[in-house]
Amino acid sequence: MKPSPEKKFRLYVFGFYLLLFVIWQALFSLRIIPDYLFPSPLQVGWRLWELGNDGMLWPSIKATLARMAIGFSIAAGIGLVIGMPMGMSRVVNSCLKSLFLGLQTLPSAAWVPISLLIFGLSDSGIYFVVIMSSVAAVAIATSDGILHIPPIYLRAARTLGTPGYAMPFRVILPAALPRIVTGVKLGWTLGWHGAVSAELIKSSIGLGYLLYMGRELNDAAQVLGIMVLTILFGLLLDRFLFGQIEHRIRRRWGLLTPA
Amino acid sequence: MTQNSSSVPAPGESAAAPAPAKLRLANVTKTFENAGQNVEALKPINLEIREGEYVVLFGPSGCGKSTLLNLIAGFEEPTSGEITLEGRRVTRPGHDRLMMFQEHALFPWLKVIDNVVYGLGWRPGYRFRPRLRRQKARELLKLMHLEEFARSPIHELSGGMKQRAALARALAPDPKVLLIDEPFPALDALVRARLYSELQDILVRTRKTIVSVTHDPREAACLGDRVIVFTGRPGSIKTEIKVDLPRPRDINDPQVAGYAGKIAALLEEGQRETIPGEKV
Ligand SMILES: Nc1ncnc2c1ncn2[C@@H]1O[C@H](COP(=O)(O)OP(=O)(O)OP(=O)(O)O)[C@@H](O)[C@H]1O
Ligand SMILES: [Mg+2]
Repeated sequence: MKPSPEKKFRLYVFGFYLLLFVIWQALFSLRIIPDYLFPSPLQVGWRLWELGNDGMLWPSIKATLARMAIGFSIAAGIGLVIGMPMGMSRVVNSCLKSLFLGLQTLPSAAWVPISLLIFGLSDSGIYFVVIMSSVAAVAIATSDGILHIPPIYLRAARTLGTPGYAMPFRVILPAALPRIVTGVKLGWTLGWHGAVSAELIKSSIGLGYLLYMGRELNDAAQVLGIMVLTILFGLLLDRFLFGQIEHRIRRRWGLLTPA
Repeated sequence: MTQNSSSVPAPGESAAAPAPAKLRLANVTKTFENAGQNVEALKPINLEIREGEYVVLFGPSGCGKSTLLNLIAGFEEPTSGEITLEGRRVTRPGHDRLMMFQEHALFPWLKVIDNVVYGLGWRPGYRFRPRLRRQKARELLKLMHLEEFARSPIHELSGGMKQRAALARALAPDPKVLLIDEPFPALDALVRARLYSELQDILVRTRKTIVSVTHDPREAACLGDRVIVFTGRPGSIKTEIKVDLPRPRDINDPQVAGYAGKIAALLEEGQRETIPGEKV
């Protein structure tokens, strides 16, 4: 039986990560870097297991995800509300686009100091950072999506008698959806950066907090372990949740060339 | 010729008193302005279309057929002249006219049946009656042999099925005038033949006023009561032909082929300088 190319690729990817772990373990075994600075994969895994047993890990993951769920929903809502008039009016677009592009160049962590000033150590500061990190991406994607709607959909909507008040939600928004979803995906990633950055400083729970604690305790295994977890959850949601939604929408909108 | 086997008289027949003009184009011209450059697309067009008539616009590529359809649909305004529907001036898209595009233009975010339902939502009689809308959409899908695909997303349909769904969507709101821009391009001969017969079924049943555009003389002869032949760019009406054949017509009928030959010959005549399909 010949494996399908897809399966073959998966095998390669799996091999690649295995190799990565082997190299990591080998570097550790060579003791070039002292082991309190550079733990082995096994030590990292062990530390994560310990954290889990202490009841530290799962509540933190849940806390970060919950903050993201709430903060990012608000951000996506605001982004859509701002992005729609941007997409529908050239004037609004030219005013806001440069502003949002500028904001997007700001690293997520750069929102942390200002949020400390405004909100102190309260949780709302974390939401603030998440929202500010991701709103621009959603707004820009929404306006771009609307500006790139194939004109044929708008003409079809008009000839079918769609009244002006119904256009935004019955036609414009759905027609722009493929690009909006791409922007939402990007916004999620930026918001994720923001959430973890904010938790580093202002929280007593969450993945960022565990990172911070690891550093305080000089526990390199914990720091690396949480980093790996942050990557894993970020990737999981990006690739498998938003990635899947994006793929489905693109297929449905006829934007994928069938393989 | 007395070839009256069908119960519905063709509007082209001289026996019936001519119905009053439903759609009237008086000295309609269109010039596009693009970055200071003027492109004259249509020279003065005068045309009257009666209730229940099927008029086919036929002419070389770039002669302004789509432009004329866009003007009637109300997407564009004529540079000069006037278009009136039942005496009222056309200035923008409205419930009384509906355009079917060359691309199917179905909404991918809606299922097949919801696409057909969509246009009904804005019509007075259907406004607050979702059940009635669905019922009407179902009937039309059945007519188009698409009832099994009612709940399918658009991307699961074949090209011919999409065109039929688009036709169902265009027929649902029951517009006074249906405008069709090259309805069935790039479909294989078999599918086309089926679509022609289905379209004619509907014509005979609903007696709708239709203006369509085509490149294909056979399609013109098969569908039209009248075929308007255009000159090359800038477009003007060269002549018109009445197709005096009973419906439904078979695309492969020799009489249809005869008319198609005549229509094609008219296009060729004195058209050496504008080859259809040329790039300008
Ligand atoms: N928006 C526009 N701006 C400028 N010129 C235009 C525009 N639309 C059409 N034209 C020009 O008007 C002429 C007529 O175009 P139109 O699309 O109506 O031709 P057509 O008869 O439908 O051709 P085809 O059979 O190839 O579809 C063409 O020369 C075209 O370049
Ligand atoms: Mg055209």
